[in-house]
Amino acid sequence: MSNPLALLGRVATYALLIIAAFVSVFPFLWMLIGATNYSADIIKGKVTPGTALLQNISVFFNSVDMPRILFNSFFIAGVGTALTLLISSLAGYGFEMFRSKFREKVFGGLLLMLSIPFAALMIPLFIMMANFKMINTYQAIILPTVASIFIIFYFRQATKAFPHELRDAARIDGLKEWQIFLYVYMPVMRSTYAAATIIVFMANWNNYLWPLIVLQTNEMKTLTLVVAGLTSAYTPDFGVVMVGAIFATLPTLVIFFLLQRRFVEGMLGAVK
Amino acid sequence: MSGLKLRNVKKSFGAVDVIKGVDLDIEDKQFVVFVGPSGCGKSTLLRMIAGLEQISSGDLFIGDKRMNEVDPAHRGIAMVFQSYALYPHMTVRENMGFALKFAGRPKEEIAKRVDEAARILELGKLLDRRPGQLSGGQRQRVAIGRAIVRHPDVFLFDEPLSNLDAELRVHMRIEIARLHKELNTTIIYVTHDQVEAMTLADKIVVLRDGIIEQAGSPLELYDDPDNLFVAGFIGSPKMNLLTGTAEAGGIRLADFPEHLVPSPVAVPAGTAVTVGIRPEHFDPTGSAALDTSVEIIEHLGGETYAYARGAGSNLLTIATDNNRTLKTGDRYQARFNPASLLVFGKDGKRLR
Repeated sequence: MSNPLALLGRVATYALLIIAAFVSVFPFLWMLIGATNYSADIIKGKVTPGTALLQNISVFFNSVDMPRILFNSFFIAGVGTALTLLISSLAGYGFEMFRSKFREKVFGGLLLMLSIPFAALMIPLFIMMANFKMINTYQAIILPTVASIFIIFYFRQATKAFPHELRDAARIDGLKEWQIFLYVYMPVMRSTYAAATIIVFMANWNNYLWPLIVLQTNEMKTLTLVVAGLTSAYTPDFGVVMVGAIFATLPTLVIFFLLQRRFVEGMLGAVK
Repeated sequence: MSGLKLRNVKKSFGAVDVIKGVDLDIEDKQFVVFVGPSGCGKSTLLRMIAGLEQISSGDLFIGDKRMNEVDPAHRGIAMVFQSYALYPHMTVRENMGFALKFAGRPKEEIAKRVDEAARILELGKLLDRRPGQLSGGQRQRVAIGRAIVRHPDVFLFDEPLSNLDAELRVHMRIEIARLHKELNTTIIYVTHDQVEAMTLADKIVVLRDGIIEQAGSPLELYDDPDNLFVAGFIGSPKMNLLTGTAEAGGIRLADFPEHLVPSPVAVPAGTAVTVGIRPEHFDPTGSAALDTSVEIIEHLGGETYAYARGAGSNLLTIATDNNRTLKTGDRYQARFNPASLLVFGKDGKRLR
């Protein structure tokens, strides 16, 4: 410990970690403190808790049809996540379990498509949805996300650790392929599903650009859109915006902490 | 009535032929062991019998029924895998009853059969544990239990003991032999370990490169191998194989040019041959002898093996009839009876 160079190294490490922690935590803190202050105080940069919390909450609930908006957000994120996991994990399972001449070519093609930015897809997708008469519907948000290339890739990688002999054993036990998937693969891969749930749920919950384009009436809007909408007034009430931000962040936090242990396991690819 | 017949069975993966035409009859209640080096196709052949790999051509009969296109679950077989392949999210009881549950059997029958298997394998106390909480040997017993519960006509074992340590392997080997007696069904067992093959089998099938080199009882294969490969593969320690040339009065070995070894079979002079003699067939009272110098001694207590050489570089393995006084560097006259020699032609086929 007496080595001054080592000491310096430790000081630098901790300094860096403290800065990183501050950068990550400060927005949360700012949000929580802001929710208790009047807009004018927030603009002045007041960093101590104030007394306006109840007022901000009541203004927020008066200006927003909260039950409806929450339902929209949860429905889209929930159903979207369930479908994405089901369809993308089926694809990942198929890519890893079945041999074919074209397998790697198709998979490579899929990965290539990851590089197409959403901005390039936006307009054709909108025209497609308009043709299907799906503008301003839940399915317009959910359907384009259910075959997620990233999640397919993630499941294929994770499936490499799934023992093929389990599938053989299940076939001898008389299971059909879909039963193997349902009764053997899914329970065995639950850590992977948990990790994917967090990733997909967060992405769906926070999704902004596409819902902004497709959801056109107030009763269809999601929480993310509504919170963003609060800031677009001439003089936004930042205290109310902060309350909205808390509600918008809470579910992802809860899901993350519920599934955290499995998330880490899933990221390590642990299959036992 | 559940013997098996394989008729000109072939398997290829793309352009690669893995099984190149296998004809085999397995009788009801026989314990058959497929043995061979890795990559010989023994596991593939077993998986084809199980229905996990399609048969490219040829016919497979289990009992009298052609089974080529029948689902694995309906072939009347059960399989035990090398990695056990237990469902990790189910208890031992659920693992064993899973197939029956899917077949729609009543709960009481499942419980009865699981309990019966648990009794045979002494798994009673483990029934509510999960595979992750069991040792390797226990997992292997559960895997066997899962097979027993289905009351199959044919048991298939794919290198079931490879993942166990040496002591446990011997123990489980005896268990499996006992099980065969108790269940009295046909068993097909794949291994690369010729000791397992010798000790368990009624019939050994030696495979190499997708063809059957020889099939027969363990002692037939030991005493009377058809070719060099089988001679070298069966028996432990391995048979000594020495090259030589036939002459008028016998065979002149390249490593022992001073002797003319009497040949047990008539070989035309000038023929290049390989002579095989098993380490345990050296006999101090034998009529023929090879002069060797001892390089390494292995005392096993009950037997002493000498690794010795003649003029060449090949080491000869010799069972010395437990000669405990032998030392490295000693001259040793390895005596044997010419009748115990096996002679093989240039193509590796046995000359009889």
